[in-house]
Amino acid sequence: MIDNFLHGTNALFSDPFTVLIFVLGVFGGMLFGAIPGVSMLTLAAILLPFTASLDPAQGVMLFAVIYCTGTYGGAITAILFNIPGAPENAPTAFDGYPMTKQGKAGKAVGAAVLCSAVGGTASALIMMAATEPLAQWAIRNIGPPEIFALVFFGLAVASSVGGNTIWKGWLSVIFGLLIATIGQDPVGGINRYNFGTTDLAAGIAFVPSILGFFAVSEIFVQAERRAFGKYTAPKLSVDFPSIAELWMHKIAVLRSILVGFFCGILPGIGATLAAFMGYGEAVRWSKNKESFGKGNLEGVISSETANNAATGAAMIPLLALGLPGGALTAMMVAVFQFHDMEPGPLVFYNSPDLIWVVFAAMFYANLSILLIGFVETKTILHLLKIPFHFLAPMILLLASIGSYIGRGLVLDVIVMFVAGLAGFLLRRSGYSIPGIVLGLILGKIGEQNFAQGMQMVHYDLVAYMSRPICFILIVAGALTLGTSVYRALTANRASAGSSAGQG
Amino acid sequence: MGNITKFHLIELGLWATIAVVFFAYSFEFNQTIEIYKFGATGWPRAILAMLVVVMIGNIFYQKAHGSAVQPGRVGIADDDLTETKKPLSAILNIIAFVALPLGYAWSLKPIGFYAATPVFTFLVILLLGERRVRWLIGITFLIYVLLIGLFMVFLNAPLPQGTVSPFYDFSAFMLRMNTQLQHMF
Repeated sequence: MIDNFLHGTNALFSDPFTVLIFVLGVFGGMLFGAIPGVSMLTLAAILLPFTASLDPAQGVMLFAVIYCTGTYGGAITAILFNIPGAPENAPTAFDGYPMTKQGKAGKAVGAAVLCSAVGGTASALIMMAATEPLAQWAIRNIGPPEIFALVFFGLAVASSVGGNTIWKGWLSVIFGLLIATIGQDPVGGINRYNFGTTDLAAGIAFVPSILGFFAVSEIFVQAERRAFGKYTAPKLSVDFPSIAELWMHKIAVLRSILVGFFCGILPGIGATLAAFMGYGEAVRWSKNKESFGKGNLEGVISSETANNAATGAAMIPLLALGLPGGALTAMMVAVFQFHDMEPGPLVFYNSPDLIWVVFAAMFYANLSILLIGFVETKTILHLLKIPFHFLAPMILLLASIGSYIGRGLVLDVIVMFVAGLAGFLLRRSGYSIPGIVLGLILGKIGEQNFAQGMQMVHYDLVAYMSRPICFILIVAGALTLGTSVYRALTANRASAGSSAGQG
Repeated sequence: MGNITKFHLIELGLWATIAVVFFAYSFEFNQTIEIYKFGATGWPRAILAMLVVVMIGNIFYQKAHGSAVQPGRVGIADDDLTETKKPLSAILNIIAFVALPLGYAWSLKPIGFYAATPVFTFLVILLLGERRVRWLIGITFLIYVLLIGLFMVFLNAPLPQGTVSPFYDFSAFMLRMNTQLQHMF
């Protein structure tokens, strides 16, 4: 492995043009991740046609680097503006944004820098050491029933965070699942809920919905606060967390690396579920559960470690099985196809050079988060100084361009603003925006894998549950759900009792 | 009725409408799929059934506790606007601010990005309370130049050009300028 890694490193740094692409990928991913309103997906969509003129290794490497640094960059907007750069940064905002409001933005961003680098580097190392055995294990043990079970578990976790009540948490997730049914059904390709228009046949595009629910709705919320005289500008601080503060959360980091890597390795799941589950597990194991969502540093650490730990793992199903784990890895498939290649087991034998250049680039990209992140962060934190009435139109316009570029449809810009309006109203009523987005992302994956799983076991639920991983995940999901309902009932009785006592 | 308010009933009504509309429309694609027992409607209808169950749970919760936040919830939005005095002018301002982006989105197809964007930017800044004309024009110009520089000149990203004259002609002029600029380097 070390020989291969050194060979990949040599190939990466011996050619000046490859180095240039690497550096542009690192800065581009961080920058587009950190600009509110656009994301690494916007940059990837713009750059996709250009990769046709690059060497295949350079093209795939560029996207892999953008994936690593963009996942980190999205945390900055989540923390500073409550606008996650990508869905995988949504749980980061739960505690990151309250920290900004408390004047601790520097601490939150500093923790995100370090934990993204640690999670990503650990993931890259495991990926290099174990891609082939892990891929073999995944082929043998992970099928559609297991993926559906994990989706169920993930949705159970998502419903228990965000939303004023467990019911609103679930209504949010269900709303997302319902939006995901618009478009063709994944088994028979039958058009569903196109309401007589052909534009909706391809379904609701993913990027505009995310930008609308996260970025546009946040602008509307802040504009409302401004109109009612309640707007307070976030406080600028560049105090990074101390080593001792971060060391206190070492267990959370290790747990999130494991959770993130496991989620990342499963085809179709990607970093989003990893972040939610990393955050959910941090809450579950914490002795101070009530402090989450109010500016607990561990919330930022868990979410950011987990989502970056998924980046290396997400390359395993992509490279070993040809199955993308998310929107950006799906674009990497297109990069392969531009060069008449198909990602899959044969890539390891036919193009080992490409694989090791990509692996080495991901390793160094994660290290560069640590090196460049702290320097870049101090500059980016000054974005908080820009008055809201100048920043808001910029964010709305960037989001419009980000939505339009993916498919070149004005409809997507309209969808984005409608999603923004819906998100604004739902947030005002105590619903969970990350819950809606996770439902939207996992809806199609869940349905497809449920259908395939059912066909595999001939619709026999006993056979379905007799698969060990499936059984564990379904039971874990049911327990998560049951526990949150039980807690809701007992907590409300307790609060009713205490208020009666006070009266 | 317990702690149920008019707002809770509207909320219930909206969810019920969504459930009914989606269920009614599911008959439009109620086709069997040979290889899949549950067909195209199985999954959406299962989601709708869950929606109804959770909707009932929600209204029972609201009957008992009103709009109270459930203790121990994580990642909830803080709402300190409930008790705030809301003057009509501020409400109208918010309605205009929310409607403006929708109008901008609708205008992109006929008018195009290049012509619609400066007007949109100017109006957003105006609605957010900026009244100094120099700042309004200066910031609008700055944002426009930054966006054009990044997406048109640097990244060559395709943006909506519009279909109606003279807006389409303006877009064509911008693109011609860009081409000439690219040729200079």
